[in-house]
Amino acid sequence: MPTLELSHKDLCSLIGKPIPKDQVADALLYAKCELDTQDGDVLHVDAKDTNRPDLWSAEGIAREIAGRLGRPGLPSHRATKPVQIVAVTAGDVHPFATAAIIRDVTLTEAALSQMIQLQEKISTSFGRGRREMCAGAYDLDLLRFPVAYTTKKPEDIRFVPLGFTQEMTVREMLATHPKGKEYGHLLTGAARYPVWTDATGAVLSLVPITNAAGPGTVTTKTRNLFIECTGTSLPMLQTAITVMAAALADRGGTVEAVTLRGPGRPVISPDFTPKRAVVALDQLRVTGLDLSGTQAVSLLRQARTLPVLKGPRIEVSYPAYRQDIMHARDLVEDLLISAGYGEIEPVVPRLATRGAADRRELLTARVAEAAIGAGLQEVMSYILTNKDALFSRMQLPPGRACEIANPVSATWSVFRTGMLPSLLEFLSKNKHVEYPQQVFEIGDCVLPDDRQETGTLTSRKLGIALTDVRAGYESIAAVLDVILRTLGVRYTLAPTSHTSFLPGRVAAVLVNDRPAGHVGEIHPQALNNWGLEKPVAAAEIDLAALETA
Amino acid sequence: MLQLTEEGRRYIRDGLPEKRLIALVKKPTPLAGLQMPDLGIALQWAKKHGWVAIEKGMLRPLGKPRDLPEEAGLQAVAAGKPVDARIAAVLIQRKLVQEARDDLRRQAERQLEEGVATLTPELIATGLWKQATFKPYNVSSPGAARHPGKRHPYNAFLFQVRQRLVEMGFKEMTGPLIELEFWNFDALFQPQNHPSRDWTQTYSLAFPTTGRLPAKKLTDQVKAAHEGRLPGSTGWGYRWNPEKAARLMPRAHDTAISPRYLATGVEVPGKYFNIVRCFRPDVIDATHGVEFNQTGGFVIDPDLTFRHLLGLLKEFATEFAGAEKIKFIPDYYPFTEPSIQMSAKHPDLGWIEFGGAGIFREELTQALGVQEPVIAWGVGIDRLAMFRLGIRDIRELFTRDLQWLRSQPVIA
Repeated sequence: MPTLELSHKDLCSLIGKPIPKDQVADALLYAKCELDTQDGDVLHVDAKDTNRPDLWSAEGIAREIAGRLGRPGLPSHRATKPVQIVAVTAGDVHPFATAAIIRDVTLTEAALSQMIQLQEKISTSFGRGRREMCAGAYDLDLLRFPVAYTTKKPEDIRFVPLGFTQEMTVREMLATHPKGKEYGHLLTGAARYPVWTDATGAVLSLVPITNAAGPGTVTTKTRNLFIECTGTSLPMLQTAITVMAAALADRGGTVEAVTLRGPGRPVISPDFTPKRAVVALDQLRVTGLDLSGTQAVSLLRQARTLPVLKGPRIEVSYPAYRQDIMHARDLVEDLLISAGYGEIEPVVPRLATRGAADRRELLTARVAEAAIGAGLQEVMSYILTNKDALFSRMQLPPGRACEIANPVSATWSVFRTGMLPSLLEFLSKNKHVEYPQQVFEIGDCVLPDDRQETGTLTSRKLGIALTDVRAGYESIAAVLDVILRTLGVRYTLAPTSHTSFLPGRVAAVLVNDRPAGHVGEIHPQALNNWGLEKPVAAAEIDLAALETA
Repeated sequence: MLQLTEEGRRYIRDGLPEKRLIALVKKPTPLAGLQMPDLGIALQWAKKHGWVAIEKGMLRPLGKPRDLPEEAGLQAVAAGKPVDARIAAVLIQRKLVQEARDDLRRQAERQLEEGVATLTPELIATGLWKQATFKPYNVSSPGAARHPGKRHPYNAFLFQVRQRLVEMGFKEMTGPLIELEFWNFDALFQPQNHPSRDWTQTYSLAFPTTGRLPAKKLTDQVKAAHEGRLPGSTGWGYRWNPEKAARLMPRAHDTAISPRYLATGVEVPGKYFNIVRCFRPDVIDATHGVEFNQTGGFVIDPDLTFRHLLGLLKEFATEFAGAEKIKFIPDYYPFTEPSIQMSAKHPDLGWIEFGGAGIFREELTQALGVQEPVIAWGVGIDRLAMFRLGIRDIRELFTRDLQWLRSQPVIA
């Protein structure tokens, strides 16, 4: 979710109406923005809609609010016919491009910071960290047409990057320029790097890293701009360039379209031709409001569209920069936002339904009750752990476990397959706490299982651990016995071998003659591995075995 | 010191009943015809000693009875001589002798002399407690600490939420921890290669990597929804890739469960909920744990509208947060339209972001074969759990501090 910084004064001047401080938060809701904090003139705002980049700058937000405050209908953005032709030579990285020319724009401090912020949010949020899209802006008066979007071998690229005064090679930029360090990985493996160049052959920018100083520097003195977007999907680039051009048009700029000629059909951008959708009147039923066609039209106009009522349907023209409208329902939401969520009376649904908890949860509650009756304290652990905890420390050979490819930390990289590591880890954190310690946990484990559609089985297990100077097989067997008897489960014990336990002091727990778990004294080597200093006796039972018992 | 009981004295005088029986029965005799005092006791012991057998109602003597140690024992007690402990035990069991009342008295007297610390069985039996003065205890000091079994307070809280939802008529859903991307994303109409899939940052798996997609009819429908081939929708406009949908991932949000239920058929009207563990690669801090629980679900009915969506959230705010006021804010989820966020004014916490909800997009429900409007909802109960448990750091919900767990009261 993009977070934005806006100037209250600037926002009001764009809306064309003063909005008192205490009403800003409500007004922002019309633009799907939530006011986070208000710091003097600075508004810190969360833009809620990740699919509407037009609402990520003051201009777009003001446009949306103005629609509800007396300036409804379609915004009147247009672009003059394209004069300049940009040659596009597609490379592997960001093969597509869109562009626009903006003339006679007054970039106040606020306007400049909004432009930079919008460019940044489009590149990071909409462009997923510049991987799929990146936007740039240049001083039109400092570059010479024809401009080209092309590729060069890395060793042929040298220029002074933005924020620096010395010419650098690509290698130097990727190593030292902050954006080079942040986004250099996006160029990994490419033989040729994408660049914007002008008629003099000067590099205007290295995509998606940085602009060149000079033409790539935009200040409050800049009057005419060349803006561009490059990326992997042309429709997204059309949306992005239209969003940026519309914002600068709202600042008084004149938009001139640009033709981009590449290997495919020429692309003209930006294209402000309104898009069209249809809302059937019966699709308004879901609002719960008893709306006439005319009322619906009025609310849709406030959402900056041009709706025309035609019999049982409304034909809606909406701005080109919106790519979020896929279904009539999307316009119904706009209509509801116009109506104001705070103005709509909630109705509690009264439905004749019968509640029920999941059977496994009810069993879990019963088992917990039995364990509590046996005097055990419940603990709760993360399901994520690591292979060292699951296998090595438990004196088990390396086994199969469900493993995360992109863990935040190696400590939490594998799903547990059993409860005992969680409990031993718990005890290892409480060596200084009064003994005896008797704990249990009922939790989910993940077992790799090819027979399941998800390749894994989520298995709920009970783990019990007792520790004290004299904790041993007899004490854990007694606790397990009282729990299982309390649950009305008949079971038998059979000698078995299990390397987590002391040989000769571990039994398999059988319910209906099927293995349901283990009970025994933890192997002293495992205790050493966990740094435990007193004996631990433990048991683990699969709840699935109790379901049928 | 032992003394004879009434019965013991009688047996010294008359002989043990089993001895008397043997003296009476010299040859097989019908049981029914036998008459003597203490007959029952006599039969029981004679049999036990192996002196008689009973067959078909006939009592048959089996040989010459020997002298019993009980007899000598009784004589010894009567003479005030010491008795072998094993024989004394038999005599006490047969209630022929008992601990001398004088002894009890003596013990009780000794206790009185030494100063009475505790009430004893001797004092109670002899009535000497009447003469005792019991030293008052310091009753205002608390009892010694004990550590009984208890539920983990967070789990107890979650169970309470579960019960409340059941009372409100919701049915519980569950699902696997490792999920197909299909259910986590695709069936929820989240496009495979679009920024909106970044709505949740997610983990991916190194092992296992791929699962099996559900029936082709369903995946075809979902594919059609994404590609814009369902009536009334342009879709996301890209080529949907079943291989990506078949990839496995740790469940990133609880909403992954709802489409599984919607696709296999649910009750209409129906109210469903889940309380489940979810996994996201968040940087771990005071508001982001390694894992988290989500509470959510859906409500389905042909007549549901946006106003019911608001009403449902309002009900949750009152039920769970005791909210005095609520505020609805437009929001965005790729799978619902309209989407809202609710803030609730908690009496102690002030305004909190309490829940989110929306009406499932028609592309989603249509693809799953559902005709009715479906309200999807989620409430943030972790914040309330932290408040109830008095903790400030979300990581503490999974605390490993045994001392803290022992000190926690059972939650109300």
